[in-house]
Amino acid sequence: MAEVTLTDEQSEALTALVVRGMARGEASAVQQSLADAGLILVKGPIMMPTPAGTEHVGTMMRLADDAPERERIMATFHRFLPVNRQLRDLCTAWQVRPDGSVNDHSDENYDADIRDRLDDIDDAVGPLLKRFSEDIPSMDGYRARLTESLEKLDDGDDAWLASPLIDSYHTVWMHLHQHLLLTIGMSRKEDEELEERLVAGGSA
Amino acid sequence: MTPTSWASPIDDVGLVPFGKGFERGLDSRSLCTRGVQLETLAGVGLPVGAGLTIPVPNVPGFTSPDRAKAAMNLLERISGREISGTTETGGLVLLRLSASAPVDAAGLPPDLVCLGLKRSVIPEGLGASARADLGAAWWKSAAFIAEYALGVPSDELGSLDIDYPDPVKRVEPFKRLCEEKGTAPFPTKRSQQVAAGAKAMMERWNSPRAARARKKQNLPQDLPLALHLETVVVTEHDDEGYGFAISRDMDSGSFAPNGAFRHGFRMSGERDAEGHPLDGLPEGVEMLTGVLAELEGRLKSAVTVDFEYGPDGLALIGLEELRRPNARVATSLAVDLAIRGIIEEEEAVGTTDPIHVVELLHPQPKLTGEERPLVSGLGASPGAAVGQIALDSETAVEMTEAGQHVILVMSETTPGDLPGMMAATGILTANGGSASHAAVVARGMGRPAICGASALRIDPEARTLSAGEHVLNEGDLVSIDGATGIAYIGELLIERPTPSPSLTTLLSWADDTRRLKVRANADNGVDASTAIDNGAEGIGLCRTEHMFMGDRLPFVRAVILSHDHEAEERALKELAVAQREDFRELLAAMGDRPVTVRLLDAPMHEFLPSSADELEDEHQARMLEHLHEENPMLGVRGVRLALMHEGLYPAQVEGLFNAWVDVVSAGEAHPKLEVMIPLVSIPDELVMSLRLIRRVNQEVSSRTGMIIPFSIGTMVETPRAALMADRLAQWAEFLSFGTNDLTQLTYGFSRDDVERRMLGTYLEKGLLTASPFAELDAEGVGSLMEFAVAKARSVRPDIKLGICGEHGGDPASIATCERIGLDYVSASPSRIPVARLAAAHARTRLHPSASGA
Repeated sequence: MAEVTLTDEQSEALTALVVRGMARGEASAVQQSLADAGLILVKGPIMMPTPAGTEHVGTMMRLADDAPERERIMATFHRFLPVNRQLRDLCTAWQVRPDGSVNDHSDENYDADIRDRLDDIDDAVGPLLKRFSEDIPSMDGYRARLTESLEKLDDGDDAWLASPLIDSYHTVWMHLHQHLLLTIGMSRKEDEELEERLVAGGSA
Repeated sequence: MTPTSWASPIDDVGLVPFGKGFERGLDSRSLCTRGVQLETLAGVGLPVGAGLTIPVPNVPGFTSPDRAKAAMNLLERISGREISGTTETGGLVLLRLSASAPVDAAGLPPDLVCLGLKRSVIPEGLGASARADLGAAWWKSAAFIAEYALGVPSDELGSLDIDYPDPVKRVEPFKRLCEEKGTAPFPTKRSQQVAAGAKAMMERWNSPRAARARKKQNLPQDLPLALHLETVVVTEHDDEGYGFAISRDMDSGSFAPNGAFRHGFRMSGERDAEGHPLDGLPEGVEMLTGVLAELEGRLKSAVTVDFEYGPDGLALIGLEELRRPNARVATSLAVDLAIRGIIEEEEAVGTTDPIHVVELLHPQPKLTGEERPLVSGLGASPGAAVGQIALDSETAVEMTEAGQHVILVMSETTPGDLPGMMAATGILTANGGSASHAAVVARGMGRPAICGASALRIDPEARTLSAGEHVLNEGDLVSIDGATGIAYIGELLIERPTPSPSLTTLLSWADDTRRLKVRANADNGVDASTAIDNGAEGIGLCRTEHMFMGDRLPFVRAVILSHDHEAEERALKELAVAQREDFRELLAAMGDRPVTVRLLDAPMHEFLPSSADELEDEHQARMLEHLHEENPMLGVRGVRLALMHEGLYPAQVEGLFNAWVDVVSAGEAHPKLEVMIPLVSIPDELVMSLRLIRRVNQEVSSRTGMIIPFSIGTMVETPRAALMADRLAQWAEFLSFGTNDLTQLTYGFSRDDVERRMLGTYLEKGLLTASPFAELDAEGVGSLMEFAVAKARSVRPDIKLGICGEHGGDPASIATCERIGLDYVSASPSRIPVARLAAAHARTRLHPSASGA
């Protein structure tokens, strides 16, 4: 692939899109320039990165193997993955009741319990995010975004927990997870295997 | 019973050993849910765990170490074990403190599972695994106490957790943190720990977090707590452990005790399904089976029990009623309880939600044994889907935009694949479990999905996928079943399953209760057979419109556009022959049941050419222009079209009567024919139609030598027909309310426009509480129907009155039909079971004492 040189503004826009996976709405001038460069694909009202765009961001964000902060980040990441599993399980429970039926949100007791458990997860991720941000300054905004989604959830709109269509708690969490994977340079498959090992090891 | 205040009813009632509360006259107000559960468990014959309840009135005082000490002394006497001592198998005896409220409540403080550890030192004598478990459990309890009883900031506790991964090494820095940041050092004495644990629980229950949980459940803010103190043995001995048993199989719903157990000690209040199956229990599973059956009978609910086992055998320590059983469990339980004589059959019917029946009949692929499975994985999101393979998100979006149904097949999905997942009708992945991105998103969007089909290989270059010997190309058709997790090659028919044995039994009881007859809307033999399998008592609506489409279209078009009488006659003859075949198949499936055939109802424009290319000549072009309508649904439609083209209905009934003669003379069936005229608003429209039909009836009779009995009736779809029901009843032997059109015309709503543009806003503003097209408007349209019912019966008391269309399968609408005294409802074949149950509910609710047909 030919070397692409991007302005800061372009880099930022491309990174945001790769982390989010997609965006809706009309392409901005910057996004259009990225589309012209073959780094993003504009399809009707939807924008997504092309494989070249994803690769570009991957190269740009990936921390050098010998970076001094890598070890610290990995240690925190190992603590993050079990919490990540808790969040995924919680989102599953939010959508599907333990017996496999769809959660229709008519059981206030059940939903209140899930919301309550989300606080435990949020408490656990707080100190981890603080550590990540010390080494990866671009991760600074996630704490506020998670809090914002919680506030909207508590304002009464259940979609703010797990809807993939808005910046719900789960969506923001997916973004921060993706951000970490790009920084570490780990594939999602490796990530899932590591998480499985950590969770299995933790409860043995 | 909902007391207006949760202030305690009684003063100091002392400490209550598990199982001794009822005999002291205590109830859920002071014992709370966990205390009551243990009372119930104590009543079924097995020992319950050693523990005591600190009842509501005693909880405030329990934050004093003296009171805690007294409770510990009592617990030592009850259990025969020394707290902090060692059991004969080398286990360490500690304390578990838990809380419950007088009613089921979320947001309770977590269980504190190992209080009483002397000086917070994790003893060396335990095995490595018990030490690790104890370390993790101790940290949870200690951090909770530090945060809520000593005011240590939770962030700092979290940092400690990260900095010292080994809980044993975390003890000393933790103590220092409490001294520096807490209101007091972490308590060293065991009674102080228990008292501090109680204080932390009360603080948590008063925290904004718990207040929010109460608010979310509409529970009063002053809801009190009881505390429960038990012994727990920290052990890794093979003969000691804990587990749970649930009374029913969640997939089939049947009584089949299952669960899991583990060696060691229970570290949290949560159940862990990943243990050994119950049949490996040293005690065997029989004793639990008896307990579960007994508890189901007492509580009329599916139940889960928690137990511990050790050298002394099993002890029950927890009980949970399954508050919201799934459809399979609910129906199976209701039927079992009625068969055991614990509830009446009518109660079994009454407690089953018709929505459960809908769930039981969730779409699934129709399997014939001929299908070719492609691959199997985890059923991650229920439902079935058929579509063409797309191997990435972008292709899925493109194919969908081209109008294709797509199954997105990928190794795994990431947030970047969301556009494709939204476009797809189903999702299949090679990696990931039920918490994977694909599974979570698919369930969120209601898409069927299979995840973790590990045999699947995707070649992104060749655009193929393979699984074992099968190789498929992008664009090939596959079918997926998100319930069983099996993907199939090619297109499978998606259908609803037939009712289970429990549901069949329950529905037969519903049939004994209901008064309303339940018929089906069916237009062909296959639907008619399905309807009868589902319990339909006849056909309430056979539409004939589709019989005029496809290769029949030229005949009808010729009738409407023809300028040549002979051509019209020829076309009508062809129609009569074609209709005979259509009706034969349907009637043959119906035995001696009634069949209501609605003659042509479609608006004329549906039969006319839509483009000039389809026109045969100049005359047709002129006719087409001449016949243009501004509002076809209110134009030349139904009986109006038939009276303008007087050969149409005779051709239809000629086919019908001949088909009847065919099946009756062949001995295949002897159905009762009911001929129904649509869109009548003027009584004479019915009279004229009747004359045409009678003439044909006589012709066919004299030609075949068979008397062909039939009754005549009309749809009531226009407000005028409803207002003139008495005049219609002079001729009509039955009336069928077509509530879709009747709703449109009563409100003056055009359904498509209103549902698309307006309904959301109207629901939001509270102008409507439901779509009147989904749930019959009992107040308005229902009143009009009630008026028509009275008018019609005043003239012909034995007139048969029914409803056909979507409302006939909707429980709320069926209740309205019962109230206004209709004789039958007619629903789509798949909704028949719902309608049978809903009709029974409607009857019981209207006449609580009525039972039996």
